[in-house]
Amino acid sequence: MEHLPIYMQLHGREALVVGAGPVATRKAALLLEAGARVRLRAPEYSDASERLLREQPESISRDPGVYDTECLDRVAIVIAATDDAAVNRQVSEDCVARSIPVNVADQPELCSFILPAIVERGPLTIAIGSGGRAPVLVRLLRAKIESLIPTGYGRLADLAGRLRDRVRARFDHVNARRAFWERAFAGPATELALAGRMDAAEARLEQELADAATSTPGEVYLIGAGPGDPDLLTFRALRLLQQADVVVYDRLVSSEVVNLARREAERFYVGKERDHHCVPQEEISALLSRLAREGKRVARLKGGDPFVFGRGGEELDVLARHGVAYQVVPGITAASGCSAYAGIPLTHRDHAQSVRFITGHTREGRLDVDWSQLTSTRETLVFYMGRKGVGEICRGLKGAGRAGQTPAAIIENGTTARQRVVTGTLDTLAARAEREQVGSPSLIVIGEVAACHARLAWFQPDAGATTVFPQPMPMSRAGSRAAAASAA
Amino acid sequence: MVQVQVREWALRSLADLLTFRALRLLLQADVVVYDRLVSSEVVNLARREAERFYVGKERDRHCVPQEEISALLSRLAREGKRVARLKGGDPFVFGRGGEELDVLARDGVAYQVVPGITAASGCAAYAGIPLTHRDHAQSVRFITGHTREGRLDVDWSQLTSTRETLVFYMGRKGVGEICRGLKGAGRAGQTPAAIIENGTTARQRVVSGTLDTLAARAEREQVGSPSLIVIGEVAACHTLLSWFQPDAGATTVFPQPMPMSGAGSRAAAASAA
Repeated sequence: MEHLPIYMQLHGREALVVGAGPVATRKAALLLEAGARVRLRAPEYSDASERLLREQPESISRDPGVYDTECLDRVAIVIAATDDAAVNRQVSEDCVARSIPVNVADQPELCSFILPAIVERGPLTIAIGSGGRAPVLVRLLRAKIESLIPTGYGRLADLAGRLRDRVRARFDHVNARRAFWERAFAGPATELALAGRMDAAEARLEQELADAATSTPGEVYLIGAGPGDPDLLTFRALRLLQQADVVVYDRLVSSEVVNLARREAERFYVGKERDHHCVPQEEISALLSRLAREGKRVARLKGGDPFVFGRGGEELDVLARHGVAYQVVPGITAASGCSAYAGIPLTHRDHAQSVRFITGHTREGRLDVDWSQLTSTRETLVFYMGRKGVGEICRGLKGAGRAGQTPAAIIENGTTARQRVVTGTLDTLAARAEREQVGSPSLIVIGEVAACHARLAWFQPDAGATTVFPQPMPMSRAGSRAAAASAA
Repeated sequence: MVQVQVREWALRSLADLLTFRALRLLLQADVVVYDRLVSSEVVNLARREAERFYVGKERDRHCVPQEEISALLSRLAREGKRVARLKGGDPFVFGRGGEELDVLARDGVAYQVVPGITAASGCAAYAGIPLTHRDHAQSVRFITGHTREGRLDVDWSQLTSTRETLVFYMGRKGVGEICRGLKGAGRAGQTPAAIIENGTTARQRVVSGTLDTLAARAEREQVGSPSLIVIGEVAACHTLLSWFQPDAGATTVFPQPMPMSGAGSRAAAASAA
């Protein structure tokens, strides 16, 4: 973070603006909105500044003259907006020496604070900044946010402010207060407020407050976080994650996803390395149960989908036995994510009418798989296993009668910026994966569809899937990204 | 854009399983081409000015032939438009996404693929049926049953493993034949089975039984479309693990924790049903 975003209380405090041109006047108006008493220091005054001085004589005053350090006495905040670079620099240096927050218009290097773009809805204020790097981007983003947030949110925030003390008195614990507000902001009272029916909204909220149980119910959210790209999280996962008091997560969950939780949420890492479980499964289940019974809302984040090799069922068995409430959020399983980003359809009219997801647990050093069940040439096989399994899988399938020419692929770090796809056949994949030093996590796809990668690949890990929409490729095949993206 | 917020409050549960990436690309699109299985709430998330093409497929009755859909996508893109092709579930799991990409790649059209929550994952999560489970299933198979000459085109002899979950992307009409086919191949009549209608939505219904009983129960309950059939030991987990109350929605209120006494209607249903 380049700057710490804070909201500063300026009611009745002294603010100095050096300069009285149009820019300085705009800054002065902003300070006035925040309740500051503004002094305008300048040798002469623009028409715009004269107008402001006339409009609000009680809170803005004239301080004629050129800048000198005495202007800084008793000042809480300073903005310099003169057209004299030397003066601007001097103001900045003097303020920094006195630890007075200072902003110089359009010169981020001279600022000890910068002013964000602001979206305002009554007391609700959204500040957007780019550390001074991309003001235009910030402006575009602001326009987007303006269009997303109904004006009713301001009324809603006012209403919440009125009830705040009573809610605080009703619930002893901060978790209970938060749970009340989260319910309120997702419920009918909010819809009434957004529809402008403020009296009805307030009555409804008061009713809910009166009816609310004073202790919070604990609960577990079993959440599939998807295969790696944080962009593949679902909105439901995000919502539950953000209301959780505790996050319990695995090795395969990206840090971007974990960081979407509230800052104050406790975090438990129970990561599982393959062949080396950091925390035994029974302990994880017991931990979830214990936290929920303490009244906490627990987000249990798993890579992929919790019900596809996620051992989610085992955890729920324990929760159900202990009478703990839970919800399950499906996630994009690795097979879906990797196949989409590798351009390998899992089913295809011409090649595969079914798809099978298999994990290979080793038992006594060998894969515990019944190869004789895997002989259909019209089915795609997806092995949730790393490179170490490739050799044995290819041998097993050939041993059961599958052709050595059967296409096969291994996808490493699927859906992420580090994705690699190595393709081959049952005869060749093991050696290629070895040569390319394919690492973990990875996924193996076997069947005719694996050959589609050559034709259908589109994802360029360097560019990311998340950047720009690729331009449509000109029929001439010019244009590097377009050509690579569409036909690779 | 304005639509987004309005929808968000009223109907968000229906777009709740959309991914961030899907929404972002949808919001950028100039044209939306969508199927029958995509909810109107999701389609409405697109920009108001975006053109909309409905190419819905009823089962056994494709409104627009697949070739025409692919040609449409290709044509629109070559006109310089950004086209969002919305499919129910995951485009690469019985979504015929591969066929559409074959055409686009041939025509030199650029594309991106956004994976989705496939029906098996979504329905399993909301029905409390783990697709894999240490004690019951070490693998899971997704099968669609296209009928060929009035019969399902499935090799039943390949579906005999008791440690595998089978998910049929088929409606009620297939239940009887699937159960008979599996029993004919040697699966026990007591094998647990479930059919999930309108999975993940406020109209979700789960009917469970066994290979012996499911067809009759689904018939009696008049299970409709879309639905999904899950067969294997895990289907029995529904009784213990189900949590989703379609009426309340997954998104509304927090269920209360179940008092150990078993009192409290919502709590009991949510945690242990």
